[in-house]
Amino acid sequence: MTVPESVAESERPASLVVSDVHKSYGAASVLRGVSFALTRGHIHALAGGNGSGKSTLIKVLAGIERADGGVLTRPGRAETELSGFTPDHARAAGLRFVHQDLGLLPDMTVAENVAFTRGFPRGGGRRIAWRRLHETTRALLERFEVDVDPTAVVRTLRPADRAMVAIARALADDDPDQVLVLDEPTASLPHHEVDILLEGLSRRARQGQTILYVSHRLDEVLSSADAVTVLRDGAVAATRGTENLDKLHLAELMAGRSLGTLYGDRRRPASAEEPPSDPVPVLEARGLSAGRIGDVDLEVRAGEIVGLAGLLGSGRSTLLRAIFGAVRPVSGTVKLDGTALTAPSIRAAMRRGVALVPEDRLADALFPEASVARNITVATLARHVRWGRLSRSRERATATGAIEELRIKTAGPDQTVTRLSGGNQQKAVVARWLQRAPRLLLLDEPTQGVDVMTRADLYERVRAVAASGTAVIVASSDVEELAHLCDRVVVLRVGRVAAELSGTEISVRKIVKYSYADQEAS
Amino acid sequence: MSGTRLRESARGPARNPATSPPVTARTGRLGAAAERYGLVLLLVGVVAFFSVLPASSAAFTSPANVQAVLASIAVVSVLAVAAVFPLACGQFDFSVAATSLVSSIVCAALMSNHHAPPALAVLCGVGAGVLVGLVNAVLVALLRLNAFIITIGMATLLPGMVQWYTRGVDLVRGVPRPLRDFGSLTWLGLPRVIWLVAALTAVCWFALAHTAFGRRLYAIGGNASAARLVGIPVTALTFGALTISGGLAGVAGVILTARNGGGLVNSGVDLLFPALAAVFLGATAIDPGRYNVLGAVIGTLFVAVSVSGLTLAGAAEWVPAVFNGAALIIAVAVSTLLARRHGTS
Repeated sequence: MTVPESVAESERPASLVVSDVHKSYGAASVLRGVSFALTRGHIHALAGGNGSGKSTLIKVLAGIERADGGVLTRPGRAETELSGFTPDHARAAGLRFVHQDLGLLPDMTVAENVAFTRGFPRGGGRRIAWRRLHETTRALLERFEVDVDPTAVVRTLRPADRAMVAIARALADDDPDQVLVLDEPTASLPHHEVDILLEGLSRRARQGQTILYVSHRLDEVLSSADAVTVLRDGAVAATRGTENLDKLHLAELMAGRSLGTLYGDRRRPASAEEPPSDPVPVLEARGLSAGRIGDVDLEVRAGEIVGLAGLLGSGRSTLLRAIFGAVRPVSGTVKLDGTALTAPSIRAAMRRGVALVPEDRLADALFPEASVARNITVATLARHVRWGRLSRSRERATATGAIEELRIKTAGPDQTVTRLSGGNQQKAVVARWLQRAPRLLLLDEPTQGVDVMTRADLYERVRAVAASGTAVIVASSDVEELAHLCDRVVVLRVGRVAAELSGTEISVRKIVKYSYADQEAS
Repeated sequence: MSGTRLRESARGPARNPATSPPVTARTGRLGAAAERYGLVLLLVGVVAFFSVLPASSAAFTSPANVQAVLASIAVVSVLAVAAVFPLACGQFDFSVAATSLVSSIVCAALMSNHHAPPALAVLCGVGAGVLVGLVNAVLVALLRLNAFIITIGMATLLPGMVQWYTRGVDLVRGVPRPLRDFGSLTWLGLPRVIWLVAALTAVCWFALAHTAFGRRLYAIGGNASAARLVGIPVTALTFGALTISGGLAGVAGVILTARNGGGLVNSGVDLLFPALAAVFLGATAIDPGRYNVLGAVIGTLFVAVSVSGLTLAGAAEWVPAVFNGAALIIAVAVSTLLARRHGTS
């Protein structure tokens, strides 16, 4: 069935109506009268910053958290009070959830993963009828246009396919009236896989699937959703069609305040025409090869913000890690302030003032059991030692200062760091390295999983650090971020420098163009 | 908020679940204090109970019993402290007890079979522990083999070698009087060995809880990859922790020789699980959620005091074992469940 794009929301049948949801934890009111309606065959986005109540709302709908009040209505079915809602109710109401971690067992096959929720077909003697399982799984995957083999091990699939498998599994029973709820489905996807997944979702929607799409990624919301409900402080800030909505406007709805421009002021003093004032660059890499990268030359001067662009696998992270001494270069030299590192190592690089904020915060940066203070002081422990003893009061003073400076939202320095929101965790990691007043600050995907407001804080901080004379390299898959933040952007393609853009040459279009293969290079 | 917690625990860094201490709550000052000193309060309660209980009160509070209880924890508490170091950086050491047996035998054998001067024998006993620790360290820290398996292997291999060397005969001759006195007599009303244990405990507590070295070990245990990326020498410190563990087990072995008046071929090895149980029990106290030295020692004390009280009160032989096992399970369960409840509200 084809429906003209311009049909107004109200003219299409509502598929699900949620009204007046309330939820509080003790004195803290998390959801305050949230209402919205989903239209059949539409992708409806639910957006909001960290702490907006969006995860709680999803949990209420899934029946995991009990609401204090609220009603869920599905036309043609009974109304359900959300205060007594359970996962079984959610299922009966036709709600199907795919959570961020997808809930797949990575070391088992696609068919086995499907069978874990749908049941294993049995043959004689209760043995598993493998052939039948593979056939039904294949049929299911075909129905969802997922081109993977039922016997493939989930780990070997590309991330977008994994997500599609999870979606197919969730919608496996032939109820045409299901509502698919996707909770941050793209959070763990590499940039280029996001488009594949979104395309798949649009296809489902065109076939009549109703989708509730939870995300704080503005681009995705605007490009894939038909309408968006913005939550802020537990209430609906706005419900809009996405046609006449731009990114800044959406961000302002989420933030509840004017953001000026989303990325702060552009800053392009060090354009190509101006000769650099400082003769010796902070970083001078020559012919650097390590892992994925080959023969990379890179120079960064004091006060400069240089962006590293490139597709996944282009070697952005490897390059940063090689400069930081975490990956041993096969060949090439790294000079810091004009002198080469004799024996490259993390500690040697750190002594020379290099700092790295790694890409994967949870795996490579956070000490999850430790307090905010301990996470902040871990790279500067020696400074907090007095007579051989670590001074907790000094540590706390350092942490308190950093918390104020970076506006980290925490109950205090002794709060366990994993209790913080993703953005504030990231701020704590950045604060850790700023304690060392780095000469060269390497940021690998610094705003991944960070909400709009926290991003603005981080950008502001990076600019301030650069203004104070630190050389900064930002590797990011967010091309707009690079275009707005950087004085110069180096584009990597399969481990080599494909282009270097500076000053007014920098544009999203050019970065994207050089990131993709040579077909455009002529 | 609960959402972040759930999600992050699912996607968190690859911790070794086996070496992760029980997660504990840290909310509210009063709650935190109650948790921190819960085990201490429990210990005080147990002491009070058996001091008042008519069946045990007279014997329980006698100086002789106090001394006996303290002397009985000497070896096991040093072993527990030894195990804390590798656990702090995320590695198991199941070989501490077997190492103490080797050290005890080396020390005794040098004196009884080779008539070595006691000071040298003691030094070699400790040295044997360091040596075992070094072997563990090479295998685990340098070659990156699984500590869980390697140290179980070591714990099986070492007693076997002791059997081979001694042919199953205890070495009880030639241990000089001063060393035996050190194991059995008192200074200032407390067993002499306890002074050594107290000193070791103090040093190790300071090293782990109040120095950059200790903080770095815990950082490795918390997230080794992140530790490396903040410039912590992960390999060197893991190496060091396992060597220290071996060395402390060596000291425990010498204490064992002093206490037994010789090298007994079956001594020490049965202390592995009591020592580890004390460490786990201790991880619920003092610095909740972290393996810590004071908690471990309080754990051993708690177990020893309750065993003594129960025995003196005339409890059947099986009661202390059941009591101790239950205490460990309940302590870990309560602190974990409390943490979980705080975590989701």
